[in-house]
Amino acid sequence: MNYGELLKLLAPESILALTLLLVLGADATFLSGRAPGLRRAVAASLTVAGCMGAIYWIFFFPIHGHLFSGVLVVDPLTQVTKQVLLLLTAATALLTLETAFTPHVGEYFGLQLLATLGFLFMVSSEDILTIFVALELASLSLYMLASFAKGNLASAEAGLKYFLYGGLASAFLLFGFSLLYGLTGETLLAKIAAKITTTPRDPLLVVAISMVLTGLGFKIAAVPFQLWAPDVYEGAPTPSAALIASGSKLASFFLLEKMMTIGLSSAVGSGAFHALAAGWVPMLAMLAGLSLIVGNLTALAQTSVKRLLAYSAIAHAGYALLGVIANSSQGFVALLFYVMTYGFTVLGAFGVVAVVERQTGSDRLEAFAGLSRRSPVLAGVLFVCLLSLAGIPPLAGFFGKFYLFAAILRAGAPSLGILWLVILAIALSAVSLFYYLQVLKQAFVREAPLELPFSVKPSTQLVLILLALCVILFGCAPDLLVSKLLLALKAAAPGLVF
Amino acid sequence: MPARRADLARGFTQGLSFLCLALVLGISGAFVPNGGLQAIERHAWISALGAEYFLGIDGLGLVSILLTAIITPFALFAWRPPEAGAKIYYALFLALESGLFGAFTAFNFFHWFFFWELSLIPAFFLIKLWGGPQRARASMQFFVYTLFGSVALLLAFQVIFLATGTFDFIRLAELGRTGALTRALTTKLGIGEIAAQTMPLLAFLGVFLGLAVKVPLGPFHAWLPPAYAEAPASVSMMLTGVMSKMGVYGFLRILLPLFPDQLRQWQTPLLCLAIGTIVFSAWTAMAQKDLKRIIAYSSINHLGYCLLAVFVVVQAEGAAEHKQAALDGAIFQMFNHGLSASALFCFVGWLEQRGHGLRGLDDFGGLRKIAPVFTGLMGIALFSSLGLPGLNGFIGEFLIFKGVLALQGWAAALSAFGLLLTALFLLTILQRVFSGPLPDKWAKLPDLTTAERWIAAPIIALMFVIGVYPQVLMGIINPTVGFWVTTMP
Amino acid sequence: MVVAMGLEQMDQYAPVLMMALVAIAASGGMLAASVIAGKRGHRPAIKDTAYECGMIPIGSNSARFAVKFYLVAMLFILFDIETVFLYPWAVVYKDMLTTNASLILGGMISFMAILAVGFAYILKKGALNWRE
Repeated sequence: MNYGELLKLLAPESILALTLLLVLGADATFLSGRAPGLRRAVAASLTVAGCMGAIYWIFFFPIHGHLFSGVLVVDPLTQVTKQVLLLLTAATALLTLETAFTPHVGEYFGLQLLATLGFLFMVSSEDILTIFVALELASLSLYMLASFAKGNLASAEAGLKYFLYGGLASAFLLFGFSLLYGLTGETLLAKIAAKITTTPRDPLLVVAISMVLTGLGFKIAAVPFQLWAPDVYEGAPTPSAALIASGSKLASFFLLEKMMTIGLSSAVGSGAFHALAAGWVPMLAMLAGLSLIVGNLTALAQTSVKRLLAYSAIAHAGYALLGVIANSSQGFVALLFYVMTYGFTVLGAFGVVAVVERQTGSDRLEAFAGLSRRSPVLAGVLFVCLLSLAGIPPLAGFFGKFYLFAAILRAGAPSLGILWLVILAIALSAVSLFYYLQVLKQAFVREAPLELPFSVKPSTQLVLILLALCVILFGCAPDLLVSKLLLALKAAAPGLVF
Repeated sequence: MPARRADLARGFTQGLSFLCLALVLGISGAFVPNGGLQAIERHAWISALGAEYFLGIDGLGLVSILLTAIITPFALFAWRPPEAGAKIYYALFLALESGLFGAFTAFNFFHWFFFWELSLIPAFFLIKLWGGPQRARASMQFFVYTLFGSVALLLAFQVIFLATGTFDFIRLAELGRTGALTRALTTKLGIGEIAAQTMPLLAFLGVFLGLAVKVPLGPFHAWLPPAYAEAPASVSMMLTGVMSKMGVYGFLRILLPLFPDQLRQWQTPLLCLAIGTIVFSAWTAMAQKDLKRIIAYSSINHLGYCLLAVFVVVQAEGAAEHKQAALDGAIFQMFNHGLSASALFCFVGWLEQRGHGLRGLDDFGGLRKIAPVFTGLMGIALFSSLGLPGLNGFIGEFLIFKGVLALQGWAAALSAFGLLLTALFLLTILQRVFSGPLPDKWAKLPDLTTAERWIAAPIIALMFVIGVYPQVLMGIINPTVGFWVTTMP
Repeated sequence: MVVAMGLEQMDQYAPVLMMALVAIAASGGMLAASVIAGKRGHRPAIKDTAYECGMIPIGSNSARFAVKFYLVAMLFILFDIETVFLYPWAVVYKDMLTTNASLILGGMISFMAILAVGFAYILKKGALNWRE
């Protein structure tokens, strides 16, 4: 392995790092003292150009390889995921143009890129050491992004809460990792799995699994590790919240899936009704069930749209966990499809919220009244995104849920013991429709006291429309993504097709 | 200029609905009544799930899309929304129509369910945004019930897919006919906590529940009267005229071929449910004062006959010709009830406009003196609904009773009470609203306008045509039903 | 096998466990002994002040520092830790130069380049500027 090869394997990451330096440098040198609007425009275009360059590179120079037998993995599946992550970041950067909360423009975009760099490494790592480093890189950037609106108390509170909870979660994760290392003497996921071979579970292993799940459960905001989510979603600047909800979710779920199906593939257990067996499946089934119940039911009572999206994010973490619990290649693909399309959808919703918040100064339900007349484009995007979150055909959310349910039932085929979770999920998705409709009712039925049209930047309109089109496209023709993911998974891990 | 734009939206939507009608008529012109599936379009959709884009029509499908294509323009002309928000109304209406077309032509569960759910959303919004004073409650009830049904359906089909690996209705029907479906459900999924015999039954119950809510079959009907009563006239017409047919369609297309054994096993209780629905809905209709609610209950009653026919033909014994008659009748009844019930809702809507929001049974009287054309046309629709020979309603009910009487005489005898009660309350409407003394406040009630006469005329004409010359439809239905009856296990 | 290994490792923890038990017993025992054997009497308020005899402190006890101190301290730690990476690099440098020169050189050059950009950035931002 020479340095040139390493750079080739890490080309997208390197491009992103260079972009980061460029954004910071440009903002600190020849743009300093210029109008904030110009600085934002330059920083955003550099960020988008960097992301697009990385996507372009992955697309036209496909390369696969393992560095140090798995410390860094570059295979078709990670590359597809990285492309989606980069797209999400580019869209977030463009949506950031709608906001004007900070004079530190270069730093804000730089941190977005840094967080994305962390996501890319999270996707590529299969070694608990690099996993932890990548996770911390992403987390530390996100803490700062959350507290970036310095003058705003809510943002400071959000940042501090996120940081304290996150720090605790990292400690748990690290402890879990150290126990795993202590038990097996290995840091590579595949080798850890090979060493854990006993059927009567070592109690220490169970402790290790629950510690790891505590750490990762925090990242995906699964109950009972969700307490930070509503405050962070509400208090953090909207683009930061959007990145936490989209890119961070995707990277964390990818990591969780790899951690469980590769690293702990011999400690699966069973979550079947009446037949619980120790392992990570029952623990995740518990987390999923709790997230579904708490997320959906609490969301019913929300009056702030950002908080509502936070609780719905908790609920969606519950749905996505079904894909992990399935513990199969279909489950993996269903999970990725779900989280990816969820990323697009939630970005669209947050984009609309950002505009409404900038123009009305509030993200409460009443602020959305008369949206369909004040800005038909925003209302249309909101309509598509929220109905997709609720799982209505022909939108991506419908197929995503359908596929998840099919995958988990198929995986549990002989006994159908996990049926209880599926029934819970389907029943609660009916509940979820209710609170999404509350928002849509405001947007389409209620009249605002003052119906001035919203001014929306053309770039924002373009991004939002593209996101909504993606949601419709992947709902009508999900095979575009699913077949690609299935092929990538087969190529990446022929042994992983269970 | 919102008025101009609303007009534009209306004109565009009406034009599109006529285009659909023309296309459907073109399809029926090219239809070869041989009992097989035609006009097939089939593409891979989502290979990982066995979901295909699979369209086709047979006699049942053709009749259903004909009904959709006829009722949609009728409903669009019958009622206009206020100008504010008219664009959304027309968009939702078109979405509803496309959902219905999709559900009636799909032959793959995923494809079918996609459109089945898709039709739910516009219907919900149409009731919720343009309905009467109780619309919030009514739309929510409608939504919760039908969504509950959808959940049951979805679960059942996930289980079926798990056992058979296919969502294809044709292949599933083949498996159901040979009993392989039951075997697959028993052997592949029956291990563990859920005992082997109950798995097929659970799948059957899931599908049954989903469809029974939609029709509706008592006791799953509680959502229907408020929804029909609160919805604006045009939406009630679509709900009763076409959407309730989705349920009957599902019984004929899915439940009957997939679960013959379970239907046979549970025939008597199911027959009792159907008879109960028929008799009690008619009985409840007698007690109603609101004209829309009366027609809503009469809708439940009329669709009960369809289900009676479906539940009767599942038995092994009995001559094929009787089964053929009953099923022919069921499809006929589907179409006829669509025509007459939507016509009735249309007339009640017009009456409500004239009566300044009043639509009670006792609010009017003696209208025949000042509105003779109204009385005449609505009278025809009422008689069609109660099954007067010479009008369309008669054919379906006659065929159903002919088949049922021969196969399960007791069921026919009991549900004949329903017929009697239907005649009673429909004639009561005629008597209370149109004859008797004319209250002073209605002395200036206008008769039907020329436009309204032209809107109603085609439907009334169609009632006569089908009543006198049923072969137009019989030619389409008969070969398909014949194919079903001969392949029935 | 893991069970065996796990148990072996648990055996290694036995002294730690004993140590912990002794520590808990000692501290708990002292507390208990002072409660049991200690002299009881009322506690005047002065017992709870910071200094039982001498000056009563005035004002806040936490002095305010200029925020620049924290900034400099953080920057120092940052660059300090980055310098630490140079030591292991220097140790393996000679061996790796013969086997994989590009990796050992390229890695450190890009690392230092990023450091240099960071240094230029803090200079440009005026983080080390004490006047103003």
